[in-house]
Amino acid sequence: MELQPVYIQVLALAIFAIGLLTAISRRNLFFVLMGVELALNAVNLSFIGFAKTLPAEQSVAGQIVPLFSIAVAAAEACVGFAMVIMLFRKKESVDSDNYSNMKG
Amino acid sequence: MTNLPLWLIPLFPLVATLLLGTIAVVSSGSKKGPAEGIVGGLAVIFPAMSFAVVAILAFGMPEAGIRETLCNWIDIPLFRADIGFLFDGLSRIMLLFVTGIGTLIAMYSIGYMHGDRGFARFFAYINLFLFSMIVLVLSDSLLLTFLGWEGVGLCSYLLIGFWNKDLANCKAANKAFIVNRVGDIGFLLGMLCLVTVGGSGILNYDALVAFVGMIVNGGHVDLVLPVLSLTCILFFIGCTGKSAQIPLLTWLPDAMAGPTPVSALIHAATMVTSGVYLVARLSSLFVICPDVLNVVLVVGALTAFWAAFAGLFQNDIKKVLAYSTISQLGYMFMAAGVSAFDASIFHVFTHAFFKASLFLGAGAVIHALGGEQDMRKMGGLIKKTPVTACVMIFAFFAIIGFPGFAGFWSKDLILEHIYTDCNWVFTGTWLADGAVPMNKIFYVVGLFTAVVTAVYMGRLIIMTFFGSYRGSKESEAHIHEAPAVMLIPMIVLTFGSVFGGYLWADSIGITFFRDSLASVLGAAEAFDPAVRLSPEIFLDEFVPRTGAHVNPVIFAALGTAAALLGMFIAWKGWGKARIPEIPKGASSAPEGYAAGWTFLWDYVHGFFVKCVFVAAWICDMVVDKILQAVQWTVGAIVTILGDGATVFQVRKVRLQVAFSILGVAALVLVVLLTGGIV
Repeated sequence: MELQPVYIQVLALAIFAIGLLTAISRRNLFFVLMGVELALNAVNLSFIGFAKTLPAEQSVAGQIVPLFSIAVAAAEACVGFAMVIMLFRKKESVDSDNYSNMKG
Repeated sequence: MTNLPLWLIPLFPLVATLLLGTIAVVSSGSKKGPAEGIVGGLAVIFPAMSFAVVAILAFGMPEAGIRETLCNWIDIPLFRADIGFLFDGLSRIMLLFVTGIGTLIAMYSIGYMHGDRGFARFFAYINLFLFSMIVLVLSDSLLLTFLGWEGVGLCSYLLIGFWNKDLANCKAANKAFIVNRVGDIGFLLGMLCLVTVGGSGILNYDALVAFVGMIVNGGHVDLVLPVLSLTCILFFIGCTGKSAQIPLLTWLPDAMAGPTPVSALIHAATMVTSGVYLVARLSSLFVICPDVLNVVLVVGALTAFWAAFAGLFQNDIKKVLAYSTISQLGYMFMAAGVSAFDASIFHVFTHAFFKASLFLGAGAVIHALGGEQDMRKMGGLIKKTPVTACVMIFAFFAIIGFPGFAGFWSKDLILEHIYTDCNWVFTGTWLADGAVPMNKIFYVVGLFTAVVTAVYMGRLIIMTFFGSYRGSKESEAHIHEAPAVMLIPMIVLTFGSVFGGYLWADSIGITFFRDSLASVLGAAEAFDPAVRLSPEIFLDEFVPRTGAHVNPVIFAALGTAAALLGMFIAWKGWGKARIPEIPKGASSAPEGYAAGWTFLWDYVHGFFVKCVFVAAWICDMVVDKILQAVQWTVGAIVTILGDGATVFQVRKVRLQVAFSILGVAALVLVVLLTGGIV
């Protein structure tokens, strides 16, 4: 039996939900970032899944966009972790609830 | 020699302005001020060189004129303007007397302004004034003319308020500037109208004549007549501002606050002549709008008549001359109103000479009396200052139109043209059942004004130079004739005011002046409906020209009679009359009904100013109060809502993220349910 595109989307949705929940519910900043990465990759998977439903010559766009998004995610992870390190040096804590200086 | 570039003409006064301005600024710290010899020399030499260039060009000018484009000025989509100069018959005449009389007045000022602290500053302004006027006259497009037009307005402001320690002078300067701005709006809107009709190209005078020619030859006059009439009216409003016609004339008498040479410059060579020049320059446009010409005629006649009477009531010697200028300008516009543009320019030309002589003479009198301007405190000066008296008496003969003098030729020409060329009739009005030929009415108004002119000028001469001295004894001892540097320009100008008229003496067959203008104003003549349309069509709307039927000698005889009658009345009225002693420190302003007549247009202006105040008050109430209240209400509501919204700003970052995701989800849900995307 061939892999149905809908299953890929379901999988992507599941991963996205897990990522989002991780990002929201975990207090540790590293876990938040990991959650965001997970959500991002879920979207990449979703792109690939939809690309598969199209004829070969049109599916190229759907396969290229994830490549860009992976590159951007790498840069984002870089910056994100650097920020976390700077924040840790400042507050001696990686608990996201401690960072609420911007509360209006 | 004739290949001198045209830009040399405005260049010289500009250089002088910069030089003298630098001198004035540099020497502002020193107590004594710069050496007057050097400053005065510079101030006279540069306009004189300008005059020399004009003279050389004038003699070698080809019939069609000299055109020169200096550079591009504005080049944007839909609008293109060049800085170009046009030297033809009209600008030749104007430039000759602008630079010539300007030079003489600058020379005179050396004597008059002697010892004044702002000596260098004064001459810098004078040169800037001449520069602006030259640009105005020499430019080949309306846009550059407008630049000069504004420059002239600015310089008049600077010079009227030259003695700026006195608040009254500053107020007079402001008045001149602001009243002129009202007219300038007319000029600007007129240009806009023209651009709307024919694109930015027809701001150029040659292109404009070609454009009008195209309309006339194509028979499209009726099509564009409303727009062109509006354009002409707007330009004429501009002219009423600069040339002090009803209703924008109140600034000119107040402009007497400036030094007397400035008044001479404003009244003779620059500024007030620019309105007449503009009408003559746009003659081809004006001539196809007969209704506008009628407006010009009426305004000119009213102004001439009103100002002549106002001149009768003045005690200040300079105010008399100011009103006389307004009155003479009225004559010029009357001539323009009957499409006799060459006669109007001719009167500008002769008027420049005799009015400059009169003003310089008045300046010499004021100088001799140590600043006294009230004629009631003068008298008998012919014995003390004989040269000044002779200059003013000759100029007096010129202005009243005494046979043989300059004003005789030009004024009679205007009156003759009013009678023969005015083809405006009223039909079926309440005045009369039949057609009322307006030419006779305006001729009578003009002739009557000529009588009044002779009366008030005679009064001025008698009160100033004849009888016995009425000032204090100690001031009598100080009366002295003006220095030679002041007398020479006066005498030169006197020659002009005596013989200037012989350039166009119709009765003895000299038409040099008209011929030199013919190449410029000839185009307008060809467009004139009276010439263009066939008599059958024409008779429905106008009366035919009566030119051939009247002997010109009759006009000359009537003009002479008017002058003699006016002189007789003046002699009867003031020759023997005792002028009552006036209390010390009394104002020279007229009182009673005379003040009512003199300041009539000031009252009218006051009414309009009141209207503007009311409008400003309404704007204040609506914009500042009501609209601001609305604005504040909206602002307050937003602030309150914002304060409420801060409740959702929870302390935990994670919760906020959760909220924002929920918000996005809610938005997506709404979009999906309402079918926004799918």
